[in-house]
Amino acid sequence: MNLHHFAVFAGLLVGMQTQTAAAQAVVAPLVPATLQIALSPEPGNAARPKMGDNLIYRSVIRNTGATPVHGVVAWLGLVQVDPGREQPVDLEDWSAHKAITAPVLAPGEAVTTTWPMRLIAAGTYRVVISAAGGTGALQPSNFVDLVVAQKPVVEQGRVLPVAIGVPMLLGGALLLRRRA
Amino acid sequence: MSALTLLARKEAGELVLSPRGLGWLLAVSVALSSFGLLLVGSKELSLLDNAQVVYDMLGIATALGALLAVASGVDAIAGERERGSLLPLLLAPLSRNALLLGKMGGQVAAWAMMLAIALPYLWSVGSTGQNLLGGSMALLLLGTPVVAGFGLLAMGLGTRLGSARATLMLCAIVLLVSASPLILDPSLRRSAIGVAFDAVNPFSAALNAYDSVVIDGQGALAQGWHALVAALWFSATAAFAASGIRGLRR
Repeated sequence: MNLHHFAVFAGLLVGMQTQTAAAQAVVAPLVPATLQIALSPEPGNAARPKMGDNLIYRSVIRNTGATPVHGVVAWLGLVQVDPGREQPVDLEDWSAHKAITAPVLAPGEAVTTTWPMRLIAAGTYRVVISAAGGTGALQPSNFVDLVVAQKPVVEQGRVLPVAIGVPMLLGGALLLRRRA
Repeated sequence: MSALTLLARKEAGELVLSPRGLGWLLAVSVALSSFGLLLVGSKELSLLDNAQVVYDMLGIATALGALLAVASGVDAIAGERERGSLLPLLLAPLSRNALLLGKMGGQVAAWAMMLAIALPYLWSVGSTGQNLLGGSMALLLLGTPVVAGFGLLAMGLGTRLGSARATLMLCAIVLLVSASPLILDPSLRRSAIGVAFDAVNPFSAALNAYDSVVIDGQGALAQGWHALVAALWFSATAAFAASGIRGLRR
């Protein structure tokens, strides 16, 4: 379970606990602040992206509730969905822009963010932005599907034997020559 | 065996088989290995397209070959002079042109070894084999006159400057400027100055030929303009070295 899954799970738990506490101490009906997130790829993104390409996604996080939302944090999530290889993706190499924060989001106010992403590995993925703020539950955006095509790149198994072997051969020849 | 063949064999032996020559070749292989290891060690570089990596490797091999040619070219005349062995060489029954050809024999042998060393590296980074053969052909056809030209330039300057250190410095500067397209951003090369520099720079001619062959998939034999620039460079430096050697006094 990675941070994103943990956060989704934890967010659900926090939401349930908040509702329980609210139900126990009901004085007035709680009007939850609501975050709505729309995620879309930028028009300039490659139509058929391949490994090494750079893509940009745009998210709009809007407070559709009647009260301000404090301490908004939103982050990027990526999940590989190839059959048999379903897994959350560590964004370490994919993106340096992993999260944003907003101290407060007034009712009706929106935050627009662009999320650059470098495509590291081939596969089928789903991109999602999740946001949390105030005491509200975690809110995910719509998913954006992404297929990254394979590209011929350097193979470690071919480079290492040559990169290590050739200098060793020449070094050996040099040693033999010096002894001779 | 003629004096020319003897000289060429001696030079080739010193550059390829002597501990010093093997040390140079070892240094060259370490440089190529470093680039190869950088490619697999850096996530950013490992995502470069295969053709791009082969092109880069061809450029690095050419630069290293030119550096080797400059070092041996400086040693061939200015080095001999400083060691006091140039005068006996000039007294040998050998014409000045034969002296130049004999000295070049060593450089050609060193470049041949350099090519032999570069081939496994090209194979190792070109996993798809895309235009690998064409790229190797371009390295042989375009790289050879460019590299040999730098060796001839070093010999020509060595006859005129007298000091090996001054010759090496000047040649290193010329090589650095000439090989700058290897590290310059392509956008800089599209400026008016960049285009003009590219048109007359022999190193650019070799690089542009590698680009056309490896990345654009053109034939190695279809690089007419680039080949012409490389051939002109070789001819000019050969004439420069020949006139310098003819001018040497016993």
